[in-house]
Amino acid sequence: MNNLTDFTLTNSSLTDNDFAKASANALQYKSTMTRRQSFKWFGVLSACSVLPTVSGCSTLADIETLIVGHWPDVKLPPITATGYGKDPNLLMPPESPWPLTLTTEQLTLIAVLSDIVCPKEGSVPSASEVNVPDVIDEWVSAPYKMQQEHRLYLLSSLIWIDDESVLRFKQKFVKLTNEEQLVIIKDIAYDNEDTPSEFRFIAQAFNLIRQLVLSAFFSSPEGTKDIGYMGNVAIAGDYPGPTDEAMEHLNNVLGDLGLTL
Amino acid sequence: MKNFNYEVIVIGSGAGGGMAAHTLTKLGHKVLMLEAGRDYDPKTETPMFKTKAQAPLLGAGTVDKDFGFYDATVDGGWSVPEEPYTTGNGSEFKWWRARMLGGRTNHWGRYSLRFSEHDFKGKTRDGLGADWPFEYKDIAPWYDEVEALVGICGTNTGLDDMPDSPEGVLQPAPKARVPELLVSAAAKKLGIPTAPMHRAVLTRPLGDRQACFYATPCGHGCSIGAAFQTTTSLIPIANKTGNLKIITDAMVKSVDVNEQGKITAVSYINKKTGEETQLSAKVVILAASACESARLLLNSKSEYFPNGLANTSGQVGRNLMDSTGVDVGAHIPVLENRPRYNEDGHTANHLFIPWWGHKQQAKGELDFPRGYHFEISSGFGEPGAGVAGDLTGYGSYLKAQARKYYGSRVSFALRGEMLPNKDCYMEIDDKVTDKWGIPVAKFHWKWSKHELKQVEHGLKTGRKILETMGAKFTDPLPKAEDVILKGGQIIHEVGSTRMGDSPNDSVTNQYGQTWDCNNLFVMDAGVFASNPHKNCTLTIMTLAMRNSTWLSSQLKKGEI
Repeated sequence: MNNLTDFTLTNSSLTDNDFAKASANALQYKSTMTRRQSFKWFGVLSACSVLPTVSGCSTLADIETLIVGHWPDVKLPPITATGYGKDPNLLMPPESPWPLTLTTEQLTLIAVLSDIVCPKEGSVPSASEVNVPDVIDEWVSAPYKMQQEHRLYLLSSLIWIDDESVLRFKQKFVKLTNEEQLVIIKDIAYDNEDTPSEFRFIAQAFNLIRQLVLSAFFSSPEGTKDIGYMGNVAIAGDYPGPTDEAMEHLNNVLGDLGLTL
Repeated sequence: MKNFNYEVIVIGSGAGGGMAAHTLTKLGHKVLMLEAGRDYDPKTETPMFKTKAQAPLLGAGTVDKDFGFYDATVDGGWSVPEEPYTTGNGSEFKWWRARMLGGRTNHWGRYSLRFSEHDFKGKTRDGLGADWPFEYKDIAPWYDEVEALVGICGTNTGLDDMPDSPEGVLQPAPKARVPELLVSAAAKKLGIPTAPMHRAVLTRPLGDRQACFYATPCGHGCSIGAAFQTTTSLIPIANKTGNLKIITDAMVKSVDVNEQGKITAVSYINKKTGEETQLSAKVVILAASACESARLLLNSKSEYFPNGLANTSGQVGRNLMDSTGVDVGAHIPVLENRPRYNEDGHTANHLFIPWWGHKQQAKGELDFPRGYHFEISSGFGEPGAGVAGDLTGYGSYLKAQARKYYGSRVSFALRGEMLPNKDCYMEIDDKVTDKWGIPVAKFHWKWSKHELKQVEHGLKTGRKILETMGAKFTDPLPKAEDVILKGGQIIHEVGSTRMGDSPNDSVTNQYGQTWDCNNLFVMDAGVFASNPHKNCTLTIMTLAMRNSTWLSSQLKKGEI
């Protein structure tokens, strides 16, 4: 069976502060197939419900913060592809609805970040193992307004993270040790009133990265299982309703709240 | 259509057009149906069991597919390419259209609540809006027939907002789920009822339609016919009579009259070729949706009807209403980390909160005249884009948070009755045409204090119920005018060709027959005299069945 994700280590003899070439020395994330392709590959077909999400935030972050400290000035060529249109085939969605735009270097950094956000836990695979970087590539390469905004924030964030790595540790992020990487991540992974002003903007941009990673991970078959979604299964006969265990939990909750059915 | 000697032309194939065609063909009349969109077959086109991850962008909505990749709507949504609509200064209005056989019945929410005697006689009670030209008891037997034909699951409750159906008409309701039961218990403490939602979803087989197997959102369409749409029910049944012919991709441009002011023909554009065709017509039924039918009438100007067809009253396009809408929700700590089970159910409300305030309103205890209901959103839904919520951190801690919060949010969608007002109407924009050269609709909109007061009450009440469930609110209550959804956004637009007792202030009589032309009928939600909070589709179908049956009797008597 093919690995969904394929990391290869390329050996070369670059100086540590040769930033321009640093990426060539890094773990490279090689995208071999899209996630949709991979699902077909494994013959996975299941699941659906119209009900809402983890904590109800169905839109990704609006980023509005004054930038303090460094922030890359990124000018991106506009995405000129067209969308999938008003009448796409819903049974066989387009394999690749628009050209993907991320470079291997960008995908590699995203893979490392994805696995920090969403690491392997026991038998549950990490984000990159379920091709989260490819989903993010499709997302930010999409010709729709929201996704194009996300593209700017994501790509700027990637540059910021590498710049910050170089400033602190003289190497790009993927070349850092895990401990060094976490020193930076800890500074940007919590967006709250204690976040130093120079990290406020990247912390909000990191919200976007986290949301994309978690969305892509939990909607994968492995992630769906991990979060415990059990629907999208045809039921013969009447809908069985809550399990005894679920009802017992509810009854305890009702008791605590002083409520009765 | 040379060899098909049709008696009636039906324009539109959704709830109204589908039921009109079904009723008339069953009664032996030959019907020609015109649909502006393409042919569509849910049996072969519905994405059953597809996961969000299998769709582009994890199935998230885009301008191409506003309600997500898998939504059944074809060639439509909030925008239809090259078929714009405009709004007046300071007005916001959204118009959902579908360009497909079956229209919006392919994706609708399937909530199917009867209007009650309160709903038909609101003006008699509080002096506002307009009464309907009949009473609940006149239409009740037709609700019975439609519920049996369409297949509605639900329960008789005896509540004053929910008229009972005769024994054996409703199919069994599915069991309530944990968050709904918690809402029910909290509401009960506050003296607010909950009830099984009535939904056009089969829980028992009906004809060649299968019972629901409790998977795949109904908004995707339903290949097994469990979730009602005209394309798996009324239209195939009508087709079997041999009395129905359908022309798809037929954009009707005008309804034409002769010197006696009688309808003689319908002109349409073949959207594939751009060719215009005129079809002679003995009787025409408009069922193109409230605003599309009104647009067609206003665009069908002639020497006899210079202000638009059937518009002697000047009421075509007026009295436009939608439902009020607002969302109020919260994280419910006691639902964290609760035991997992399959919570899909029929993929929408098993329980809801019907309007409980009729008695309070009668006593003058409320500062708004008309009611609302709450739909309950909750549960272990399929993860997709946005699953991450507003979590912070990273790693195993983050993932544990995501698992803990999963299925712990509950929110209420308020759907309320709006009253007609002079600022809410549609007309023809004389400066803009669509790609077919047809002048487009222009919408004007302004909520009145009645709707804003109602929404304010809903926001407070919703919070009270959620607080009773253990939610904590730290932010102040929002202002109703800041959070009420836009006109049209609930997709319950009605009233633009309202029925009434008098040709002076209404467009049709109680049978949807226009006062001006006795061979022209309206059988979509345009005829609604008011817009009760209960979702319009069941009543559209009920009126279409009743009024097509009356039309048949008129044809058989030679009155038309």
